Amino acid sequence: MTTAGDEGRLTEEREPAWKELDQLTEGRRMRRGTAAEISRAATLYRQVCRDLSRAAQEGSPPDLIAYLDSLVSRAHSAFYGNPGVVWRKWATLLFSTFPAEVRKNWPFLALSIALFGVPLVVTLIKSSHSLTFAAQMLPIDVLEDMAEAYASELSDGRNGDANAAMAGFYVYNNVGIAFRCFASGILFGLGSVFFLVYNGAVSGAIVGHVTASGSGANILTFVCGHAPLELTAILIAGAAGLQMGYALLDVRGIGRLESLWHERAAILAQVLGAAFMLLLAAGVEGFWSPSSAPRELKWAMGGVLMLAVVGFLAFAGRGRRVAS
Amino acid sequence: MAASRQTQRAGEVRQSGDLGSFTTKLDTTLSIETPERVIFNHQLAGPALRTAAYLLDLLIRGAFVLVVVMALSITAVATGRLHGLEAGIVLVLFFTLEWGYFVLFDLLLSGQSPGKRMLGLRVIHESGRSLTPAESVLRNLLRAADILPFFYAIGLSTMCVDRHFRRLGDLVASTVVVREPRLRLRKRRVELVHHDVVGLPQRLMLSREELAALSLFARRSPELGRSRAQELAEIVAPRYRARYGISGGNAVDLLLTLLSRASRP
Repeated sequence: MTTAGDEGRLTEEREPAWKELDQLTEGRRMRRGTAAEISRAATLYRQVCRDLSRAAQEGSPPDLIAYLDSLVSRAHSAFYGNPGVVWRKWATLLFSTFPAEVRKNWPFLALSIALFGVPLVVTLIKSSHSLTFAAQMLPIDVLEDMAEAYASELSDGRNGDANAAMAGFYVYNNVGIAFRCFASGILFGLGSVFFLVYNGAVSGAIVGHVTASGSGANILTFVCGHAPLELTAILIAGAAGLQMGYALLDVRGIGRLESLWHERAAILAQVLGAAFMLLLAAGVEGFWSPSSAPRELKWAMGGVLMLAVVGFLAFAGRGRRVAS
Repeated sequence: MAASRQTQRAGEVRQSGDLGSFTTKLDTTLSIETPERVIFNHQLAGPALRTAAYLLDLLIRGAFVLVVVMALSITAVATGRLHGLEAGIVLVLFFTLEWGYFVLFDLLLSGQSPGKRMLGLRVIHESGRSLTPAESVLRNLLRAADILPFFYAIGLSTMCVDRHFRRLGDLVASTVVVREPRLRLRKRRVELVHHDVVGLPQRLMLSREELAALSLFARRSPELGRSRAQELAEIVAPRYRARYGISGGNAVDLLLTLLSRASRP
């Protein structure tokens, strides 16, 4: 049996240790600390854990328990923090897990292609025949800007400065589109469906209108350089969003969130792979696509890139076990 | 008649059960057991604090963009032409700040963006460990859904409904945002006073909760002011007067005496 006065004595005896632990685990000190410091902090941490359980057991006042709670929780974070970035793991993720997961979850990619491709083809055909239809899809000044931009062949190319600005824009805009296609899939897949259809329809309307104004070859020559990377990546991001939405719907008797958590690693690998592809695409789109290289060379490069992307997705990372 | 009374009683029971689950819902702590076999409580951060932290981060990012844009415009004016390269840099910066800012700081500062750090918040995994890079990427990518249709309307509503104040990104990544306040310990020792209260036994058995409350009162009463302490003590004192059959006396003295004569369970 102890009396109430002991609690004051506990505080007074133990306070130096608490203060010391508080300072040792402050900020990033545990990551940079010497072996002696870390070992000292570990000893203190165990002692403070004991102090906390003792204080809780003995009915100490709430403010003392709250203080020890906060101290232990901060020290816990400092000790069990993550070990930092391991680059090899990221390389494995991008070059082997990513293509393997895309193959494994191919139905979602197929659905994503359909959701993007069907509106694209429809609006492309309609807006290449009818200006009124194109004007319904997009504001007329946007269409005119587009038609004007592709009116001349990019024979002299843009200057390097404009290329850098446009590469920046493609990173900001296109990777953003892909991320939105993915993230909105959490709304039971509806968001991904919307963004895929919307982007497909708008792209189709633009290409259709530019074709109608007689510059179809120009825009396709511009697009063929980066489209294999960029469109594939957006479609994969959309597919990951659809997969996320589907996991919420088909709960397989384990609850919605658990079902989603089950698919988490697969979904993340696909999104990160798509983001990586989009960063590459932005470089191509900013610097190669608008260059003065002859049309035939651009078509050839586009074909090579297409084969590379398909080959990568079809064969990379085969024979390795995919963590599910 | 008997049957109807029976149903009524069942109804009452269910009601109290509902009340029970209601109080657990209001509980804003998350209990975590460490490998040292100690259970400690994290305080969860609610929508208000998290909005404040987000706004701070927004300000920081805005200020950073402003400084970079100003520096670039000054060089553009100085050299007499606008470089496309600089526009490109600003756009890549926008992108990095929009999608990479939180992930970067989650990794650098173990789950704290500068705004969260200023307010003493931290993102952790539900189990209490720090969040991994993958979890950070997921919860921050999902911002694109939480932010819909305007200013995090979906995220904030999800947070208000969820037991642990999680937004969609937290639900997907199994993370929670907790408060890590740096509390200071009250220095004051409990002054044990012995008053002669007629009829009060020399040794008392009080429950743990009673002891904690009395001890907190004893430590705080000097800073409460005499009349406020008196007021508070009068609320509790009748309970003990009734229990030990005492009448009258000063309520504050009674509570302090109770504490001094109490033995711990």
